[in-house]
Amino acid sequence: MSAQQLGETVKQRFGDKVLDLSAPDLGQLYLTITPDSVVPVAEYLYKDLGCRFVVNSGTDRRRERGKFLITHFFTQDEEKIYIAVHTEVDEDHPQIDSITPTVPAANWSERETRDMIGVVPVGHPDPRRLVVADDWPEDLFPLRWDVEHGTKPPPVEGVAMPRLDPPEGASVVPIGPYFPVLEEPTYFRVCGEGEEGGGVDHRGFYNHRGVEKLGCSVLTYNQVPFIAERICGICGFVHSSSYCQAVELAAGLEVPERVEYIRTIMLELERIESHSLWLGIAGHIIGFDTILMQTWRMREPLMWLCERISGNRKTYGMNLIGGVRRDIEPEMYDDILEVIGNIEREWQALYDAIPGDGTLMARLQGTGVLPTEVARELGAAGPTARGSGLAIDVRIDHPYAAYDRLDVKKCVYDGCDNLARVLVRLDETLDAINIIRQALRDMPEGPIMAEFDEEIPAGREAMNAVEAPRGEVFHWVLTGTENRPERWRVRAPTYANLQNVPPMLKGNALADVPICIGSFDPCFSCTERMEVVDVNSGRVRVYTQEEMLAETQGHSES
Amino acid sequence: MIGSKLKEAILCLRTGLVTLKYPFAPHPPEEDFRGYPEVDVDKCIGCGGCAAVCPSRAIMIQDIDQNTRRIVRLLERCIYCGRCAEVCPEDAITMTKQFELSSDKAREDMEVESQIFMATCQRCGRCYTPPSPVDKIMEPGFRDDEIKRGGQDSPYEPVKSAEE
Repeated sequence: MSAQQLGETVKQRFGDKVLDLSAPDLGQLYLTITPDSVVPVAEYLYKDLGCRFVVNSGTDRRRERGKFLITHFFTQDEEKIYIAVHTEVDEDHPQIDSITPTVPAANWSERETRDMIGVVPVGHPDPRRLVVADDWPEDLFPLRWDVEHGTKPPPVEGVAMPRLDPPEGASVVPIGPYFPVLEEPTYFRVCGEGEEGGGVDHRGFYNHRGVEKLGCSVLTYNQVPFIAERICGICGFVHSSSYCQAVELAAGLEVPERVEYIRTIMLELERIESHSLWLGIAGHIIGFDTILMQTWRMREPLMWLCERISGNRKTYGMNLIGGVRRDIEPEMYDDILEVIGNIEREWQALYDAIPGDGTLMARLQGTGVLPTEVARELGAAGPTARGSGLAIDVRIDHPYAAYDRLDVKKCVYDGCDNLARVLVRLDETLDAINIIRQALRDMPEGPIMAEFDEEIPAGREAMNAVEAPRGEVFHWVLTGTENRPERWRVRAPTYANLQNVPPMLKGNALADVPICIGSFDPCFSCTERMEVVDVNSGRVRVYTQEEMLAETQGHSES
Repeated sequence: MIGSKLKEAILCLRTGLVTLKYPFAPHPPEEDFRGYPEVDVDKCIGCGGCAAVCPSRAIMIQDIDQNTRRIVRLLERCIYCGRCAEVCPEDAITMTKQFELSSDKAREDMEVESQIFMATCQRCGRCYTPPSPVDKIMEPGFRDDEIKRGGQDSPYEPVKSAEE
């Protein structure tokens, strides 16, 4: 089924409710629907057509249209189609029906859209604020065009996130606000009885950097890739690639084939680097530092290799719209093959050792279970989804760069536990080495930058996703005037995966909480290019400061 | 279980010692490393290309008067992408291999300021980069004697010599 046909199917079902339909590309479908049909259309896409919810976005188009544009993004993985469902909401009644009761994965992003643009999702089950700081004024919406970049409202004291009520008799274990394992700021409140974890309340987004606002109000098209790359410290190249590919699609720009291969190679090098970093951290979390030492040692020659290719260990700074800045010289091919060959050999040795190791098995097997159904419902991405038996991988489902010409394997395990997620990453690393070999073999000669003189026309849009080491990175770009995007929406994989924490922790021993959270390789800085909070199912007993002081004093006296 | 532990032990033992001597021995980065951007202010013509492409807005341009452009590079903001070096038409910026940049006076140490003599647009009165070195020399105010003479086009008051 092509995107056009899928659009026709939706139009047949909803008739006049579908105001506009366009499918500029095989894999992209844009629908504009009336505000009252948001929930039925979302339900039809999610339940009947088997689409997966990606993210939602709000755009301030009051200048052009006098309206707010709310967009829900879905993907139909079998048909390789991304679907954007646009709805225009009146400026005077900034309200839209919430789809969260039908599509649970929309929980965070609907709240984020409310915080950023001010369009209220009516009927949302958890209407707390998500992204903005606790003392941010209620009536100031940062992504509206009339709010200047750099606006700093005066701080207010004595405000805090409303917390969920604790259940009777449960105690609370706070983890954070400086997450001890990953050295990043986030705050989980795990409530439980005895050793067993129950509900979880999460407050994150302490690191809000306003990257989207920056991209839409200050930077120009070719400055954004460098900032996009800094959304994440580990998987930066995926963000700049996804952004550049989205702009290239919107502008109808053909990039040279060599560029596609170079991007593929760099993306896979980054995957090896990220997975080996993660495996080390995971070992560290469960107190098995041998793995940390060995994987980080294996990783180091790769970092030097990347430094040689790109000029930096990380944040390669190679992507620009229409191409890359540095070529991979033919004399480097042998060095690349040698480095990845060494990693493959040692990785294989590690792979052989892990499944037989009782210590690891005891900590990984059967802990942090995320059932397939829950993972689908809450929109898990990447290795987290594949470890739960969901066969989704953007490289195969929505091929970009040179992946359609290469043999890529979907590494899926249906164990649903921490071990499955470890195995997925172990497999993927070996597969990445294989992909790099193929790409180096097939890479054609040619220019590394597309020739284009014309300006990128305004009002065009494109969606693009890239399979980051942690999952699906999604970028949507709506082109604008003044040589910059009108709206640039980013969804990092951890944004989707973090919402899976509450069901994952339920029934686990508290000692397993760090590895459970660590098992989906959370990257809080990615997630917090804006900010976040979650939620849920949780019942929490909150100690006041006085109670805690009384408690400690009681102990010291006794 | 024992087998796995043995395999892990072999993996560790075979590796030997890998820790580098750095910082007690130098560890130079690879060729083409993008380190501290060194600016040759004598080569700079003040076109402002670097400021236009800088993603972190580390380079600021300010026209002090109709002939003088002040360029301030706040390199503590620099993200070492090297775009400025890439677009500079005069190759005035080089990405060096210097990466040991921590300082307790970052602001002073990492700030490079230069003032460039520019041509004045006769229509709008703002600074621009003259098309050729000859044009630059012809600009009133470029040479000392031009200032002294107080030529017809010169924006400066004639300098009174001691004799007068």
